[in-house]
Amino acid sequence: MSDNNVSLVIDGRAVTAPPTASIIQAFSASGGALVSNVGCMGQGVCGSCRCMVRREGSRDVTMELGCETPVEAGMQVAFVSYFQPKRPHVYDLEALTDSWQILDAMDETFPQAKSCRHCGGCDRACPRGLDVQKGVEYAVLGDVQAAREVFTECIMCNLCTLACPERIRPNHLGLFIRRALAALTLRPQELMRRLRQIESGALTVDTSTVDDGRN
Amino acid sequence: MTAIPYAEALDRYRAATAIFPMRPDDATIAELIAAHHPDSTGGKAIPLKIGVNAGMLCQPQVAALLQTNALIDDVDIAGAEILNTDILVIGGGGAGAAAALTAAGIGARVILATKLLLGDSNTVMAEGGIQAAVGDDDSPQRHFEDTYKAGHRAADKDLVAQLALDGPDVIRWLIKLGMSFDVVGHRPFGGTLKRKTPGGATAPRILSYRDFTGLEMMRVLREAVGLHRGIQVMDRVPAVELLSDERGGCAGAVVYSLEHHRFVLVRARRTILATGGSGRLHLNGFPTSNHYGATADGLVLAYRMGAQLREMDSFQYHPTGIAHPAHLAGGLVSEAARSEGAKLVNGQGERFIDELKPRDVVASAILRELREGRGIARDGQVGVFLDVPGLVAEKPGILDTTLISLAHLAKKCHIDPTLDPLLVTPTLHYQNGGVAIDKHGQSSVPGLFCVGEISGGIHGRNRMMGNALLDIISFGRRAGAHAAESRAEPYSSRAGIGHIHDWQRQLTLADLPLAARGPHVFPDYGNFDLVADAGIARRAAE
Repeated sequence: MSDNNVSLVIDGRAVTAPPTASIIQAFSASGGALVSNVGCMGQGVCGSCRCMVRREGSRDVTMELGCETPVEAGMQVAFVSYFQPKRPHVYDLEALTDSWQILDAMDETFPQAKSCRHCGGCDRACPRGLDVQKGVEYAVLGDVQAAREVFTECIMCNLCTLACPERIRPNHLGLFIRRALAALTLRPQELMRRLRQIESGALTVDTSTVDDGRN
Repeated sequence: MTAIPYAEALDRYRAATAIFPMRPDDATIAELIAAHHPDSTGGKAIPLKIGVNAGMLCQPQVAALLQTNALIDDVDIAGAEILNTDILVIGGGGAGAAAALTAAGIGARVILATKLLLGDSNTVMAEGGIQAAVGDDDSPQRHFEDTYKAGHRAADKDLVAQLALDGPDVIRWLIKLGMSFDVVGHRPFGGTLKRKTPGGATAPRILSYRDFTGLEMMRVLREAVGLHRGIQVMDRVPAVELLSDERGGCAGAVVYSLEHHRFVLVRARRTILATGGSGRLHLNGFPTSNHYGATADGLVLAYRMGAQLREMDSFQYHPTGIAHPAHLAGGLVSEAARSEGAKLVNGQGERFIDELKPRDVVASAILRELREGRGIARDGQVGVFLDVPGLVAEKPGILDTTLISLAHLAKKCHIDPTLDPLLVTPTLHYQNGGVAIDKHGQSSVPGLFCVGEISGGIHGRNRMMGNALLDIISFGRRAGAHAAESRAEPYSSRAGIGHIHDWQRQLTLADLPLAARGPHVFPDYGNFDLVADAGIARRAAE
């Protein structure tokens, strides 16, 4: 095992680890205090372990998730701690009751979206490889269903928000559209029926139907 | 433990042309669980020595943690900053967010303190879905009965009934917040929700969003909490002790700022613990599917203050954790795969259990295969096959539309899920028991509520798929609403850590070491030492 170990640098710390280890695992095994930039440990859904990665021989810096990315020899890694700045985009979803107003509400809350300069920074920043810039474009054009689709697998790591020079906050824009569409249009019929049955008192639960004996 | 080599098992698997035969078996469910479930084959449960549940059986590693000395002493918090709030919620997962949103919605001032970042939780990792009895072929009554029976009739019936009855309203509440659910035929208004059958259920009852339901839920909850003016979120502040008032009730908590390396006293009229479970304690040496933060912090603090616990000898091992490759061990393959029809196959090319039995049954059956030499060994990792290729053959395109996370996982395992089966083995997944609560999430300690995985009594001794996501929202909202009623009450006159002195006396009398301190806050491999980090001076003896 030790013959195959690779050496790399994580947050300024020289680390040696087997090539199967993820960046997070290698950091922890090297004795580094793992108290932030960590979450789901391998599933790649919480977005907390976002990091900048430069591979040996490459000039490019890529954005990746430390729990999903295997270590490589000569890699340089820096975690991107992210503390949310004051939220410039505040909205109250409950106040949005008229679905005709959805585009106006979007414009009002995310006025910067129209100024996208198509620099592609958000696309490069996305560790999930989503077409973020395209999603913003769809939103501005009013194709809310297409925008909704683009952000389906977004993990809200906020890297596109960090990358955007126009302060569009693309992931929050995408989530706004997703939330608005669900809240304004999702009305499953059997759910509506069942709620009426429960709320009218017609449907209750009788706890005496099963005996308490341990099986 | 002998096992069948991977190459040999794979050949046998590939040679099979039709359905895998079921290995004949005449053991009863009870015998199977008694002989093979880690609760019975792992470290033997021992009686707790001290505290309100002295004498109750408890998993030994958990017992050791529950019976630790406090992390801090009076002197460590002298002069600490004090914050006042109506409601303190500890924990940034789904239960904490639901409690905070509900309490703040009623008008209470809320502080939500979390160890990592808001949303970093097991909630975000949940894949399969959420149970709610909405189908015309289903009812809350059935949901109640299925849940109670799956939990081996050990649950609190009233809690289970409340859970089942809350289901449909929980779904409406989530939709109002902007959460999406899969509908049949993409017709949102007046359409029909897509439903799957969880193991142990008598009707399809799992509602989902693709196979990342928890991610969809948590990103909506996180945004809603972040946008709510009544909620102050404090990231990176683990709770290290609760504050007690003059009558033994809870008056808030001592939290530790990882950023500023100092303690803060948060004084609250009501405290809601939503700190999750204990998978990262790696009980019985198992890998875990759990989030990094699941170290039972809240459980330890609640017990120390006198909260009654229950079923602390019962843990859930999810049947299908990743066995190979080693660096992904413990990661979860959602029950959604089996729910959709994927089969389990041993090294002899046989099925060995009805894959849709409750989780404890399926996990025990897999462990029996491994123990009796029918497991499959690859690079030192042992498991059984999950026949994803067979499922794909049966339902073409399922990896693109429904089991998206599974396809992503297969890629990380470097296998082609349309050709190669996944190697799986049980992984520590859920704490079945926990702090005893009533319908409002109220514990036996005045002023202290516990919701989500930290609580006990809802799932008995085995939890069904999809009941955790329901439980956190149902009881999170209940606790938030009930706690918020206190917002006009005066604060208690005292808020300190006096209760730990009594606790230390109990430790001494029981001959338990004062030097062992808890909670752990982070797993061992987190390399975190509060004493060093906070610059605490300890007596030389320690």
